[in-house]
Amino acid sequence: MQAFEYANPATLQEAVAMLGSSWGEADILAGGTDLISLMKDYIHTPKRVVNIKGLKELQGITKTATGLRIGAVVTFDEVAESPLIRSEYPSIVQAVLGVASPQIRNMGTVGGDLCQRNRCWYFRQGFGTLGKDKDGTSLPPIGENRYHAIFPKGDAYFVSASSLGPPLIALGAKVKIAGPSGSREIPVEELFVVPTSNKGREVSLAPNEILTEILIPSARGVRNATYEVRHKQALDWPLATASVALRMKGSTVASAKIVLGHVGPTPVIATEAEALLAGKALTPDLAAEAGKVAVNGAKPLSGNEYKVQLTRVAVKRALMEAMKARA
Amino acid sequence: MSTQSYQVIGTRPIRHDGVDKVTGRALYGADIQMAGLLHGAILRSPHAHARIRSINTSKAEALAGVKAVVTAADFPPTGDRIVDLGEGETPLSYIRGNILASGKVLYRGHAVAAVAATSPHIAAEAASLIEVEYEPLPCVLTAPEAMRPGAPLLHEDLKTKEFGQQTDRVSNIAEHFRHSLGDLEKGFAEADIVLEREFHTATVHQGYIEPHNATALWNNDGRLLIWCSTQGAFVVRDTTACILDLPVSQVKVTPMEIGGGFGGKIPVYLEPVAALLSKKTGRPVKIVMSRKEVFEGTGPTPGSFIRIKIGAKRDGRFTAAQADLAYEAGAYPGAMVGAGAMTVFAAYDIPNVTIDGYDVVVNKPSTAAYRAPGATNAAFATETVVDEIAEHLGLDPLDLRLKNAAKEGTRRADGLKYRRIGCVEVLEAMKAHPHYRAPLEGANRGRGVAIGYWFNAGLPSSCTISVNADGSVTLVEGSTDIGGTRTSVAMQAAEVLGIPAGSVHPVVVDTDSVGFTAVTGGSRTTFATGWAAYEAAQDVLRQMKERAAKLWGLEPSAVRFEGGHFRASGHEISFAELAARLAETGGPVVGRATVNPRGVGGSFAGCIVDVEVDPETGKTSILRFTSIQDAGRAIHPSYVEGQMQGGSVQGIGWALNEEYFMGPDGEMRNSSLLDYRMPTALDLPMIDTQIVEVPNPGHPFGVRGVGEANIVPPPAAIANAIYRAVGVRMRRLPMSPPNLMQELWKKS
Repeated sequence: MQAFEYANPATLQEAVAMLGSSWGEADILAGGTDLISLMKDYIHTPKRVVNIKGLKELQGITKTATGLRIGAVVTFDEVAESPLIRSEYPSIVQAVLGVASPQIRNMGTVGGDLCQRNRCWYFRQGFGTLGKDKDGTSLPPIGENRYHAIFPKGDAYFVSASSLGPPLIALGAKVKIAGPSGSREIPVEELFVVPTSNKGREVSLAPNEILTEILIPSARGVRNATYEVRHKQALDWPLATASVALRMKGSTVASAKIVLGHVGPTPVIATEAEALLAGKALTPDLAAEAGKVAVNGAKPLSGNEYKVQLTRVAVKRALMEAMKARA
Repeated sequence: MSTQSYQVIGTRPIRHDGVDKVTGRALYGADIQMAGLLHGAILRSPHAHARIRSINTSKAEALAGVKAVVTAADFPPTGDRIVDLGEGETPLSYIRGNILASGKVLYRGHAVAAVAATSPHIAAEAASLIEVEYEPLPCVLTAPEAMRPGAPLLHEDLKTKEFGQQTDRVSNIAEHFRHSLGDLEKGFAEADIVLEREFHTATVHQGYIEPHNATALWNNDGRLLIWCSTQGAFVVRDTTACILDLPVSQVKVTPMEIGGGFGGKIPVYLEPVAALLSKKTGRPVKIVMSRKEVFEGTGPTPGSFIRIKIGAKRDGRFTAAQADLAYEAGAYPGAMVGAGAMTVFAAYDIPNVTIDGYDVVVNKPSTAAYRAPGATNAAFATETVVDEIAEHLGLDPLDLRLKNAAKEGTRRADGLKYRRIGCVEVLEAMKAHPHYRAPLEGANRGRGVAIGYWFNAGLPSSCTISVNADGSVTLVEGSTDIGGTRTSVAMQAAEVLGIPAGSVHPVVVDTDSVGFTAVTGGSRTTFATGWAAYEAAQDVLRQMKERAAKLWGLEPSAVRFEGGHFRASGHEISFAELAARLAETGGPVVGRATVNPRGVGGSFAGCIVDVEVDPETGKTSILRFTSIQDAGRAIHPSYVEGQMQGGSVQGIGWALNEEYFMGPDGEMRNSSLLDYRMPTALDLPMIDTQIVEVPNPGHPFGVRGVGEANIVPPPAAIANAIYRAVGVRMRRLPMSPPNLMQELWKKS
């Protein structure tokens, strides 16, 4: 780990002022479950580390007029234990419980989940966000790629590591972001971006911005579920995830949101599958069909064809799980 | 089973090192702090195969805080002699070349140079400033690839040894040997069914939690002091002395507590490097590996390619068996293929057998021992074919194994004739176990069985026992404590002396303080060091009888020792009472012993496993797991069970999770514990154990050694269970979701 300056601001405003104007100057520390390992491996070598864990503005889970507000430094464990979330958002609880071990859930934060760096081993071994060698050749398509994207975009073959991205997008959530000139709100799907340079980031934050809150609309009457296909139960990321939110009209689906995780550089919205479900009664056959449609356009690499199959299964099972869930 | 009753053996006392371990006070190598301590870092090769054109260390040396830089050129010229440091005869140049590369790098992660600096961070930065000019060479990563004529050569001077003779053929095949028994052709001709199958197993790492570390101080008096994490302090002493051209007495090695080894902490990596850095700086130097260095720079187990052919009569009797075993040694010769050949058909009495073994060098880290090294690969192949034969013949898989089971007097193809072994008893225990008869209902579920063998090791051990005036004894030994061996050794002394295990204080000491003791490996410590403790305790008793005789004015031969008391007609004194009177009867009593036992007893282990396969995702979940093993005599049953569970867990990792993902350029992609996906406690089922005791006639208490055989059967048993669950035969490890999905697709 490279030596760094440690800052422990008392207010959000102070914290924002301590961030740099370009990436690499400062890093934000919340749970530290990703940042510390990035620093240990010299992937991040910030001059300053700004601790936001103590900021009051970023804490707590509260009801709002339109739904729920989750502070960015709320831990996974707090989310999993929250009656407000458990009663209405099973898809979030399922995603959070997939983040194992318990030790990680005790430390890791929701803001950190959304802003974590990707897990591509080329990135983690120092080949940059997009995993390119010195000559600019993308390494994932020509090397080991069994955990990489089946929906690559441009030169981005890594998969978004976020567990909460898919359910939050499916539920229509927004994030609030604080910067030097005040705060802004964007839909969660706009938080995730495809980096175009090897030094780019996976989120649309500026280097001097802090993700402060997640705002989720009420999910009353919305059946929602997340299903993760995993190799290991603990200390691992899913191989494929599907998160669904179904607005019901009697026994038929009025409208569906289906978001795939860990298959592309951002969460992938399965619009074709969403359209397929609209106006129909959800049966196991229809759920399977939605799974098939969801992977239309998938472009697996040399070693990850199996992830296409896993994605079909994830969609099918998430839909069946949602039908079991409380409306 | 023996009817002899013991007071201490077979009980479950609290381990002597328990408090220090659970409170975090136990001292490991990375904990070492001393005045003037410098920190070392190693520069490692980014290429799997390249010639080193030049090394320029000037920029690194110029960095503030850097105190010394070393390369292979700093080793004293020791020539190219052949040495035997406990693992067979090896050219010293290979051992030295793996510690710091000279001329060529042979795998990615191969150490090239090292730095000592005032902080680990400066050392790491300085290492990155060393300029090495490489000429990259084409690399070979698998045995079949490396064996092909015209394959790139790792060692231009490596001549194949064939059937024990040195040939002039230069190739990547370091050795090809053959074991034969009976008439193979005749045996296959007699068979009603002959199956031939091919198998691949992955390169996997032992995955000990504690990374390698070493601290060295080249003292002003010329003596070299080393503290490190090792399975064998004397191996470190002898290897380091050899490489640095020092008399062994000039090197003192202190083994620190060890956070796992499994065979991987027998080779020497860091100690001679830390020593060179200390010599240059005059200060102590500590080097601690990162996890990435452990994966890329230390010895995993060989990946392998195996072909098995077995013939059987309709009634199940095996008539012939043939095996080709090609094991990847990594960068230097020495894949554990000899052990693979000794174990591949070890569970069976087969009249006609031929086994061919190939020790093949490839551009991967130089492999090291890993718990029953070579045997798990071989058993995965054999036990899968045996299961398939049982299916074809409509026989119960355990009945088929029992029909062919090896027993006392069975001769193996490698020449060994078994003494008393517990193969039949383990198979019978499996058959009688409630798990084997329990109903297994539900779709995509299946049950598999397999058996495995490890021959275990003897080798020298030394021990002294000092009697304390309070009636306790202090036991000094040279065996690094892995898995509770302090206690299993102390218990054997306690049994002889008629005192509780808690009254024996075991201490693991440095190489100056105890006689030569071989590694904690080969499941030998409870067997051999335990035997040394037994003999040292007998020596104590002999001297104590003399003291009792002196007290009572009798001849020593008139004194008996029974039930913890010394007795003669009309006299009786307890061990503790006599211990308090040593000063008045002639002074301290110290018993001592060295042993080099021959009566090693091999151990068989079997497992029964139920799985459920998700046919849509290829994920295998283990529903129930039972491990059954012949311990000979279980000294401390909890630690025997712990070994059985630990071996099973690693076997499950081989089966379902673990492999080195190597790119075509020989770079390891998953060189972190996150990406390597070793199973954790949260991924594993409860593992039930049953100890079988067929005492080893070659040990005073019947001990066999239990650390290894338990890892051997799980991959095959899981493969057999997967077949019964979803109808595909897995012949490649690991059986991870992507690999199992491929096979399921092929089937449908």
